[in-house]
Amino acid sequence: MISSPTRLTSLSRCFLGVIPSIVSTSDAEGIPNVTYVSQVFYVDEQHVALSCQFFNKTRKNLDGNPLACAHVIDPVSFQAWRLRLRFLRSETTGQLFESMKVRIEAIASQTGMAGVFRLLSADVFEVLSVERVEGFLAAPPPEDAVEPVSAAGRRTELRGLQCVSEQINKADDLETLLSSVLEALDGYFGFAHTMVLVTEPPCDQLVAVASRGYGESGVGAEVVIGEGLIGTAAKQRRILRIAGLDSNLRYGRAVRREVLSRESHPVAPEIPLPGLPDAQSTLIIPLTVGVDLIGVLVAESRALAGFDEWHEGYLEVAANQIALGIDRMSTPDGGDDEGAVAPRPLAVAKPGPARPKHSLTYYAADDCVFVDNEYLIRNVPGRIFWKLLTTWSREGRNEFSNRELRLDESLGLPEFKDNLESRLILLRKRLEEKCSAIRIERTGRGRFALVVDAELELVEK
Amino acid sequence: MLKSRLREYLEPRVSIIVGTVSPEKMPASCRAIAIRANDEVTSFTVYVPVATSQETIANVAATRRIAVACSRPATHSTIQFKGTVREVRLAPEADHEFVSGRLQAFADELGDFGYPRKSIASLAHWPAFAIDVDVEALFEQTPGPNAGASLR
Repeated sequence: MISSPTRLTSLSRCFLGVIPSIVSTSDAEGIPNVTYVSQVFYVDEQHVALSCQFFNKTRKNLDGNPLACAHVIDPVSFQAWRLRLRFLRSETTGQLFESMKVRIEAIASQTGMAGVFRLLSADVFEVLSVERVEGFLAAPPPEDAVEPVSAAGRRTELRGLQCVSEQINKADDLETLLSSVLEALDGYFGFAHTMVLVTEPPCDQLVAVASRGYGESGVGAEVVIGEGLIGTAAKQRRILRIAGLDSNLRYGRAVRREVLSRESHPVAPEIPLPGLPDAQSTLIIPLTVGVDLIGVLVAESRALAGFDEWHEGYLEVAANQIALGIDRMSTPDGGDDEGAVAPRPLAVAKPGPARPKHSLTYYAADDCVFVDNEYLIRNVPGRIFWKLLTTWSREGRNEFSNRELRLDESLGLPEFKDNLESRLILLRKRLEEKCSAIRIERTGRGRFALVVDAELELVEK
Repeated sequence: MLKSRLREYLEPRVSIIVGTVSPEKMPASCRAIAIRANDEVTSFTVYVPVATSQETIANVAATRRIAVACSRPATHSTIQFKGTVREVRLAPEADHEFVSGRLQAFADELGDFGYPRKSIASLAHWPAFAIDVDVEALFEQTPGPNAGASLR
């Protein structure tokens, strides 16, 4: 049993093979051996596995002395951890063996070593203890440790991870966090077409809140959990990597794109999910914190095998960071800090003779808002928008705070993880796309203004 | 020929790891920062950070056994020395510049492959223990079917 309170799952980044690990063993006579291994594989909370690719000294030693020591390193924090291990068995078939084999072959292929690296067995160890290696870093890595680098450079993914982590730590609102993370994934990983969807309570659907590299933002598009590629990956909490997308799927997307280009005002409460009509491969990574699904990160590529195991390992680390960041922003005290930062000056709308007129209709039955008979937004963001509009109309007030929305029981926000930030992003972006005369402008941490540069007719049905 | 090859692993920019074992047969490892050897490479001194080598030092004090692997990150080409520890010393201040220089060179090497140079340069490295070792065996450890072959 593990004697340390540190849980193996909390070291998940160490088990993705980003930084090689050190493994030491000894033979029965006490002659030590030390070697690098490309990856220590997480099996479960009490077990890890090492790949046996050649019947080497490490493997021979384990027959004489089953004890071993592994040093693993977190690729983001560079903290090292020491695992005391006891060799249990070698597996040559089964799920663990197959999953290790796939990854090793992918790495071998990536490094031009296909056929040289071959998994002989998955060697399973009991984890006797987990200890942090104190003093491994003389000082925390400097804040500017992430150095600018060309995306063409080798192993830029590692810097990309650090960059993603930095961006998440620096962001003080969800919109900044998501846009900077997608930018980093583009710059460092070369993933030019990405989107993030977040769960919409009561968690039966996902809503797109950010995208990059698509002509249309797709913000507000909904996906039912359990349906389609994205919904399936979300439901099963499993990474889905598909090379060579089904031609029918691409055909369907192309048709949809064509229809949309011909319809000048599609009046339908469905916002199409962004997607490359000629996508050849996709990678879908569930964003989870513990067992909770926070959202999904989707990347698409026009290359036939645009994503491989190598990318998957790095993106899984990035996804963990993104999930934690979104989770932090989604809790009531995550982005709520009224008064901590002086509100920014508000851009005042200047009335003029040519102010546009807009008619906004709210359908209470499904909290759906239409602008000039065109669908704008629905559900909780729709309710929030209507609350802002009616307050502005009734009281002439246009400054609001996250806190007052959270305290407004009529909006029905859950007390915990209310996703208010993502709902406001949704509203802001939908307004940008469909009614730019009304804007949501951030005025400080946890504060925003409703800027109306039009004459509005508000109708409630 | 072997000697010239060995020299490659004693140059700056190599990655060095150390393995030891306790009298109870529990293995331990730590990262070393620098290494230098005599002309014939029959003995060498390996420098390990005081901050992270307590277990290593306790083990060699008890068993005198040590394994040291030196790897060239650019090629993964690796050799492993096995030997007996002659002495463990607190590295003198005169060696500080040598050890710091080797850490910086290692950071530069990995930096060329995309690893964050500044993070690597922040690894603990000083004060350091200097472990003097007499070489008893030498093995090929480059990943591949020849790994484990005796070189001397």
